[in-house]
Amino acid sequence: MGNSIRLALLTLIFVAAVGYLIMTGVRQTGMHYMTVTELAHLDRAPKSEAFRLDGTVAAGSVVYDQKAPKLQFQMTDGKEHIAVVYDGLMPDAFAAGREVVVEGAYRHQERALHASKLVTKCPSKYEAKGLGKDKS
Amino acid sequence: MSELGRLALLLGFACSVFAVGSIAWGLRTGLSGPLRSGRRAVWAVCGLALLAVILLERALLARDMSYRYVAEHTSKDLPLHYAFTSLWAGQEGSLLLWLLILSAYGSAFLFAYRKRLDPFYDAVAMVVASVMIFFTGLLSFVCSPFRILATPPADGMGLNPLLQDPGMMIHPPILYTGYVGFIIPFGFAIAVLLLNRSGTRWIEEVRRWTLFCWGFLGVGILLGARWAYIELGWGGYWGWDPVENASLMPWLVGTGFLHSVMIEQRRGMLKTWNIVLIVLTFELSIFGTFLTRSGVLTSVHSFAESNIGPWFLGFILLSATIATALILYRKALLESENRMDAIVSREGSFLFNNVLFVALTFATFLGTTFPVLSEAVTGTKISVSAPFFNRVNVPIALALLLLTGAGPVLSWKRATASVLQRNFILPLFMGTLATLIALPFGATGVYPLVCIFAAAFVTTTIVMEFARGIQARKGLEAGALPAQVTQLVRKNKRRYGGYIVHAGMVILFVGVLGSSVFQKEAHAPLKTGDVLRVGPYTLTMRGVTERQKENAVYTTAILDVKHGNRFIATEHPSKALYTKSQQPMTEVALHTTPAEDLYMILGGVNEDGSASIQAYINPLVSFVWVGGLVMVFGTLIAVSDKMRLRREEKEAP
Repeated sequence: MGNSIRLALLTLIFVAAVGYLIMTGVRQTGMHYMTVTELAHLDRAPKSEAFRLDGTVAAGSVVYDQKAPKLQFQMTDGKEHIAVVYDGLMPDAFAAGREVVVEGAYRHQERALHASKLVTKCPSKYEAKGLGKDKS
Repeated sequence: MSELGRLALLLGFACSVFAVGSIAWGLRTGLSGPLRSGRRAVWAVCGLALLAVILLERALLARDMSYRYVAEHTSKDLPLHYAFTSLWAGQEGSLLLWLLILSAYGSAFLFAYRKRLDPFYDAVAMVVASVMIFFTGLLSFVCSPFRILATPPADGMGLNPLLQDPGMMIHPPILYTGYVGFIIPFGFAIAVLLLNRSGTRWIEEVRRWTLFCWGFLGVGILLGARWAYIELGWGGYWGWDPVENASLMPWLVGTGFLHSVMIEQRRGMLKTWNIVLIVLTFELSIFGTFLTRSGVLTSVHSFAESNIGPWFLGFILLSATIATALILYRKALLESENRMDAIVSREGSFLFNNVLFVALTFATFLGTTFPVLSEAVTGTKISVSAPFFNRVNVPIALALLLLTGAGPVLSWKRATASVLQRNFILPLFMGTLATLIALPFGATGVYPLVCIFAAAFVTTTIVMEFARGIQARKGLEAGALPAQVTQLVRKNKRRYGGYIVHAGMVILFVGVLGSSVFQKEAHAPLKTGDVLRVGPYTLTMRGVTERQKENAVYTTAILDVKHGNRFIATEHPSKALYTKSQQPMTEVALHTTPAEDLYMILGGVNEDGSASIQAYINPLVSFVWVGGLVMVFGTLIAVSDKMRLRREEKEAP
């Protein structure tokens, strides 16, 4: 019997340890995840600067300094805009009109997101809309 | 021809429904006729799926643009081999490939057990057939690969350049072979519950099937990592991306199962737990396909947003509910035959191993789905990415690595103090020694040091196990050391194959440690004659060229690479611009040595004629691939072992 109590105790300690790891992990690395409009409508600086944002690269907003390299653009969800600054090479699939996901620090005074990660969603699907209807 | 394709899938659906019904009837009545027809229907689905694949391939190779699928995923300038592999470039084709592999597994299973007249195997086939209903149904009624366009375009949209890579030609089929294969263990588990079967013969059979698809899944994951490393051009191979996690989760639970199944074979314990692990592995495979294909989570790999998400979710819920209900219903069958004697024992270490694997999977699952979960619970969306996984998963993985060394040298039932002393003093000493040696080389931080300690610790235990095995066989056969090792492995392929897999895992960990902790980076715009230094390497720009090749224009920088003062190679990082889609694509230049990779990216050519070059030094990356290959080698050895049955199983056929 002593054995199963010991086993239960060990499991408990273990579950607590993993729970602790996950809790602190979320607290320290979790990012707010909202739409461009929600972020643009924030009237005061959020408690934590870490943000993740989905949206589309606004047409005509891309400024790319390849030498630095530094990429700046406006991200939009069709209603509002947020400026994004990314210190890195432009990803291959990046272009105006493409859907992107950025992660980084949102500076409320500048109203800009300093991205540490920039992922471009694959474009193939919405281009395919140009193919028209099926034959019935 | 497209009508024939639709018809094949529709017939496949009918045959799957028939197979399930017929076998169910046969099982209920005990008649062999319905069982036989059911088995034949499973074979028929395989033939029909193959026919559908051939028809779609024919259209792809002929670039028949009247097919929506062909127009979406190919173009006339696409090289023939990529036209062939564009079968799995999109959702419909991928699902068709799923179905083909699924039905092939069903047929292979029936073929393997064709001489067994036990209805148990028919029950397994019935489970496979019920999954076939789902896939043939999806392909017939929800997303047909044989949709025809009202007005065919002159040319197609072209294949996503990211997929135009040799690795991408084989990565999906291999990954799917792993994913889909878990249907067989799942079928076994359900069949055992349905027919109320006891005994361990099935558990030995399941172990072999699981090992097989687990191996394929592992190779698939590695190929995916290799593809990300070469094609995505960000200097890394693993980003804790949702789709990567999706493939890792069933692998983790499957690994846990491969360990705990040994306790059930040896000691008749953990029966419920093992069934739960099998079911979980299968559900996670389906969940992986769902994540990849549904676009629920944003990912570099999520190629499509589609309408099949709810179907998959429904299927997962339904199959998981049935499995859970069956487990509860057959509780008596799953009663443990033994109790655990001591925590410090082989059983104890396996149990702990399982808890760790499940914790790792749980953390990965939680992190991957966190935006959805946090919104459901608190109303605000929170997302986590790589830093979360590094914080949570790395310590759990390191604990597992340590256990890799400890587990195999603990004895069953109870490990005595003298066993511990005999087996642990040398490994502990070697681990400490390696840590002390690593310190002056700039290894700091708890995790890197623990990793180095664990690597040396585990390696020592593995070497000791081999040495002990050879020692025990001394006198039986003489000969050189390599011959003795081969003899030893041959005598117990399962055990020593397992140790080889462990050794591969150690090598892989060392590779991950080196490339994540000690990476160096440098970037600069370079004009002809300019120099970029990164670590001991000097890159000298020789100029930029441009040329047309197949369906893209390549801009290439020519770089002379020196290590110290010694010239080692001329490298060509490039940027391809695909003519059709006007899509740029980075072609990384890679100089690989056993100790490190020099990874070079051409960012582009600037207005003043200079070219932006980014270079990384990734230490020990080759260890990741070599470790993976060693694991595959070990798996092959283990899977080739003969059936090992308990005595009572052999006597009762």
